[in-house]
Amino acid sequence: MQAIQTITHTLNITEVFKTASGTIFQSDSENCWYIDFAGKLNRFDYRCLQKLRKAVYHIDIEGLLMNTNRSADMEIVFICACDHTYILTTLEIIALKELLQGTFTMLELNHIIHDRLYRGAL
Amino acid sequence: MKDIMRIKCLISTEMESILNQQIRKEAQSSSIYLAMASWCDRNGFDGSSVYFFKQADEERQHQLKFFKYVLDMGATAISPDVSGIKIEYNSFREVFEDALDQEISVTQSIKNIASLCHKEQDYVTMEFLNWFLKEQREEEYKARRALELFEVIGEEGAGRWQIDKHVGDIKYDSEA
Ligand SMILES: [Fe+2]
Ligand SMILES: [Fe+2]
Repeated sequence: MQAIQTITHTLNITEVFKTASGTIFQSDSENCWYIDFAGKLNRFDYRCLQKLRKAVYHIDIEGLLMNTNRSADMEIVFICACDHTYILTTLEIIALKELLQGTFTMLELNHIIHDRLYRGAL
Repeated sequence: MKDIMRIKCLISTEMESILNQQIRKEAQSSSIYLAMASWCDRNGFDGSSVYFFKQADEERQHQLKFFKYVLDMGATAISPDVSGIKIEYNSFREVFEDALDQEISVTQSIKNIASLCHKEQDYVTMEFLNWFLKEQREEEYKARRALELFEVIGEEGAGRWQIDKHVGDIKYDSEA
């Protein structure tokens, strides 16, 4: 947490969405996002964030939950062309999905505000 | 907070996904027309075969038009996989019935995109789409006219031979 506060201060980043299991920040100066999740703080640019979303949204969570004969309750989330790999349990995948859904809702809201308030007024 | 998503990409995620569906649909159309060209060629309907080869080419161009638009707007265009294309037809007439069905379903899916454009007030994509709306007018007209040849000429005697000879003559030249 201390580390994140320092980063927030020096990089001038804004919290986009936060859940009990993680937080996503946006950096306006770097045009990117920082994801604090599963004990890691990772940087994602536009393309990588889209890829992460696609990867997470495509995981068949219901299938994972219904599957009883799995040896390990783990799913490897690998996002190609990005430096980050997540190895997550089913519960963590649900948590990450929730975090991403909230984040994209906030970004959509931010987009609407920009459109209506700033872009329309120019 | 900066609107980074919008800076990177003009269209919404939903729009990107529906346009990618259309890319698949156009690719499918192209493959279907190619299968029709093959069937017609195999069964001695050379005129119709040429007609469907041309249609297949046109659909490929439609696919690329959507593909490039998606890329130009900063989104991801996905090269589609097309499978399950019909090879055999029960009759010469069935080929043309299927062709019209296919065009009607394409018109419908383009109308669905238009409706999303209105919902999102995405006038940029709407303007791009106008070309396709007009194109569908021609596509449906041609498919309908072709099928009508079966009524006008009739299939008896040298009927099918006549139909095959005249399919290539169908033109749509409305300036409206
Ligand atoms: Fe088309
Ligand atoms: Fe067409």
